[in-house]
Amino acid sequence: MATTGGELSGVMSELGLDRQNKGTLGRLLAHGSLAQAEEGPDGRMHAQIRIPPDELVWEPSILVLPHGGDLELEIFNDDDNTHCAVLPSNGDNQFIWLVNHSRGTASLNLDGPGYYWYGSRTGNDEGRGLTGAIVVLGDAPPEARLDRPEQPRP
Amino acid sequence: MTTEYVDAGHAVRHASLSSMVGKAPPVVRGVTYERILNAREREPQNWLTYYGAYDGQRYSPLDQINTENVKRLTPAWAFQCGSVGMHSGASTYSFEAAPIVVDGVMFVSGWDGWVWALDAKTGQELWRYKHAIPYDVSLCCGNVNRGVAVAEGKVFVVTGNAHILALDAETGECVWDKTYGDVRAGESATVAPLVVKDMVIVGSSGGEFGVRGHLDAFKLETGEHVWRCYMIPKPGEPGSETWPSEGEAWARGGANCWVTGTYDPDLNLLYWGTGNPAPDFDGEVREGDNLYTDSVVAVDADSGQIRWHYQYNPHDVWDYDSTMENILFEQGGRKLLAHFDKNGYWYVLDRTNGELVRAAPFVDRITWGEVTPDGKITRKVYPEKEGEPVHFWPGPAGGKEWTHAAYSPRTHLFYAPVQEVGATATRRRREFKESIPYWGAGVEVDIQDMYGYVGAFDPTNGKEAWRWRNEVPMCASVLATGGDLVFAGEPTGEFNALDARTGELLWQFQCGSGHHSSPTTYSVDGRQYIAVPVGFGAWAEGFAPMMLGAPQGDALFVFALPE
Repeated sequence: MATTGGELSGVMSELGLDRQNKGTLGRLLAHGSLAQAEEGPDGRMHAQIRIPPDELVWEPSILVLPHGGDLELEIFNDDDNTHCAVLPSNGDNQFIWLVNHSRGTASLNLDGPGYYWYGSRTGNDEGRGLTGAIVVLGDAPPEARLDRPEQPRP
Repeated sequence: MTTEYVDAGHAVRHASLSSMVGKAPPVVRGVTYERILNAREREPQNWLTYYGAYDGQRYSPLDQINTENVKRLTPAWAFQCGSVGMHSGASTYSFEAAPIVVDGVMFVSGWDGWVWALDAKTGQELWRYKHAIPYDVSLCCGNVNRGVAVAEGKVFVVTGNAHILALDAETGECVWDKTYGDVRAGESATVAPLVVKDMVIVGSSGGEFGVRGHLDAFKLETGEHVWRCYMIPKPGEPGSETWPSEGEAWARGGANCWVTGTYDPDLNLLYWGTGNPAPDFDGEVREGDNLYTDSVVAVDADSGQIRWHYQYNPHDVWDYDSTMENILFEQGGRKLLAHFDKNGYWYVLDRTNGELVRAAPFVDRITWGEVTPDGKITRKVYPEKEGEPVHFWPGPAGGKEWTHAAYSPRTHLFYAPVQEVGATATRRRREFKESIPYWGAGVEVDIQDMYGYVGAFDPTNGKEAWRWRNEVPMCASVLATGGDLVFAGEPTGEFNALDARTGELLWQFQCGSGHHSSPTTYSVDGRQYIAVPVGFGAWAEGFAPMMLGAPQGDALFVFALPE
């Protein structure tokens, strides 16, 4: 039986796919919460992500940026176990080690639009649920667009 | 109980947790246009530009490794990348680059935004750059990149999300970054840039998504945009009469320049191949010849204006891109170029004016149609009726894919990797929507009744001089050297050295994954090396579907004679 988008979170919960070691072994990726980054007066974006206890999930697991650019990220590990993060950024991936109950920061540059995965590379944190998405909204800059009439989109 | 947070600090570059040095010697500071002009003659120890020289011959005069001693060739070092986390095209990434070498330092790009500077003698990683590529970027044929260009202290590379970057060649830090394609329209970038004068020139990818192909030039120093040359004319421009006068077929017509061009400095002309029209197989929605798809266009390097063109496949309905290299050579006092097309024919043109000298077949099976030596085309088999399957040879990956041929001025022969693979296409009309694949057919490439070979071809008569036959298609660029050797990798992992005069197999090494890249050669401290990126993938279902389950890989192998 198919499920509509609106029913999805309820059915996920019912089947135990939104938590650890319930319906299946881990937690299905990208089924946590969603939040939007805040943009400062200087155009830099800011957001917080955290790892709650025993859930092996990034909260939010989907972080939305209004456009490409610089993101200042504050990262909390509220879990009773040690994790880390490998985060996408132009230049090189950014790495931070996150012992139990730690707080750190990261500076990322993403030129979007598109979405980017990040995760904790220790053990199989990535597979159990500690894989999150950063979604960048927006368009390519005007100078990069094709010289043609506006075309239909899906 | 409240617990104080432990200070985890600020995230660091991932590469800082490795043996990467972080800095390369300043070898690229002195790489000028003049040095690239004379790359092969004056500094054969280096491989300064994508094809080794502007003429695209993929020939090096280095001869320390030759037909007598090549059997002693052995690995000198290897470099591997692997992957961390999830990246776009996770099943289609492929290591396709041509390594560039300048005075002992190698610059090479990988898939998914990777660029490395390596010690060309030891393989030690000197610096790395990683661009963050969106997971959801539109890629017709894999997460790939075909290489970098170097000049004036910078390394130039394009990204999967259609940026052109200039990196500091000593540190890998980004100096400038320009967007030249629209990812929302289905554009991307995979081409190795070409430096000409004070410009870096790049083409766009996305021909399977109904875009409008273009070539762009940027200033080396600042990234300032110099010119854009669209490969499909707008209504009213020359060539627009080859598109339907009603509707917007021209605006979605393809003709992408996703393979590096060649350059004649005396004529100041770039010779750039263009890709398939879109939709690939449904020609009824784009009646006409569809200029400048499937063509070689001669573009004035200063102005970006098209001076002449030769269309290899007018009104293509087989996906026969002509993006592949146009190799410059001289014969009988004439300035010529040679091109091996997907359609199974190879062409010799007068490169001063685009006049055809000869067309000749280079594959065994051609059923789509026929081209006479003087270029007259008869179309025989093509997807015409909706829902009716049509089988044709060569398949849409072509008798030769983008992987490059070579020319040896010692043997006066061209060497081409050949794919004897057919396919069945069934026309299925679909509505155009930006970023959605726009093929106009269902396509299945043969997994049986196929083979490949490396063929040697004589430009004086168009005939095959010898062939080295293989059980599966040959899908990697070949390299010719002054040691009278032709190097060619196989989809099954073997890297081969053939006698350039006879085709005899003289040496072979199993690299563990299939080849789909462009090997290069160089020397450091008097020792010649052969470098070949290895990692099978990309559009394997198109050029070698019988190898779709073959091991993937991510290694750069470098070979030399024992010290």
